[in-house]
Amino acid sequence: MPTTKISIFSILLAVLFISGCSTSAQVQIDSPFPTVVSKPKAVKAAIVFTDEFKTYLATPNRTTSIDLGSAQTELLSNAFAGLFRDIEFVSTAADVTLENALVITPSVQEVQVSTPSDTYLNVYEVWIKYNLDIQTASGDPVDSWFMPAYGKTPDSFMLSKTNAIEEATVIALRDAGAKLMLDFYRIPSVYNWLVREQLLDEEQ
Amino acid sequence: MNKLLALCCATLLAGCGATTTIDEYRPNNQIMEINGEESVVILGRRDAGHYDTDREFIDCVASKMEGADIGVFPEQQFVDAIYPWFEPRTAPKGLKRLTRLMEDPAIKQQIERNHIRYLVWLDGSTETHDKGGSISCAIGPGGGGCFGFAQWEKSSIYEAIVWDLTNLTEKGRLRVDSSGTSYLLGVVAPIPLLTPVKNDACASLGTQLKQFFTLDQVQ
Repeated sequence: MPTTKISIFSILLAVLFISGCSTSAQVQIDSPFPTVVSKPKAVKAAIVFTDEFKTYLATPNRTTSIDLGSAQTELLSNAFAGLFRDIEFVSTAADVTLENALVITPSVQEVQVSTPSDTYLNVYEVWIKYNLDIQTASGDPVDSWFMPAYGKTPDSFMLSKTNAIEEATVIALRDAGAKLMLDFYRIPSVYNWLVREQLLDEEQ
Repeated sequence: MNKLLALCCATLLAGCGATTTIDEYRPNNQIMEINGEESVVILGRRDAGHYDTDREFIDCVASKMEGADIGVFPEQQFVDAIYPWFEPRTAPKGLKRLTRLMEDPAIKQQIERNHIRYLVWLDGSTETHDKGGSISCAIGPGGGGCFGFAQWEKSSIYEAIVWDLTNLTEKGRLRVDSSGTSYLLGVVAPIPLLTPVKNDACASLGTQLKQFFTLDQVQ
């Protein structure tokens, strides 16, 4: 009987030890994001955050899942608020009430993750590929803008896979906000629409 | 015999010292005044693909500056305070871009609110190369031990660029180049003889950077 108990204990110990080497990671993004410092332009926009976008769970590979939904909604809400003076957030395009506004529907095209075991580099990397579908309030298409974002950890020293992917994802999300703030008004079709609608003031 | 052993140890330890060179460039001899309310922010460049200026080094340089009673504004707090304009994608690489950023009243206001006078960009990394030798360890019923010899060389190259956020000018540049060899001896027990290359680079850069600033005692 004592031998059986020792065997069970040994097996349990071995299972625990091996499970410690598990390479799966379920990442939840809990970090808060800073408010953007920007003077919004006198442009109206409605941002359509679909339920799918708000609850988006990325599965870049079999062993990794990243709960991006609430973090990306928070970050992009903040960034869009820095771009437009009049803004509303809705769940479907049918709910838009603003007139003469841009209607922007962001979606995630793809999320990719690379780990040191994949690349032999000493960093974890995350790519998030967004697409912004931009229309006018009357439903005329303006553009479909591809917006890639990238984040990497400084190194992988003493980082668990989950923490490292979380850190890289937060950096990628911040990069998405930076890309949006920097480049949105440089999109030629958006610029042309603003000119057509005479929404650019003198300083622009 | 004892003298020989002591001599050997002294020679070996002396070999663990890092060689550090500092180059300084200042466009003029004007002193850089900073009052008790103003602070300096030390930022790492993170836009290179193959390396990031590590936070540990930035914290180390910041602690050397703080030791001289110079107010140092925390890097992450600064980057968050004017998000997204100092992210790797958007951070100004030159004074021209900085001037354009400072034309934005919202950004200028944030910098003034936090009393940030100078910005120090740190760019560089510490790398290990020229690894040589081998060491092996074994354990058996009668005991265990290591035998062998390994060595590697580390080099730290960092550059600091000081920008004045009031005048929007470059106040100077410092470059530190530190290198040294570390050893691992396997004589039953492994004996590491490590050269603190990065620490040396940090101490030298921090000390030199402190001398850039003159604390205005009147305020």
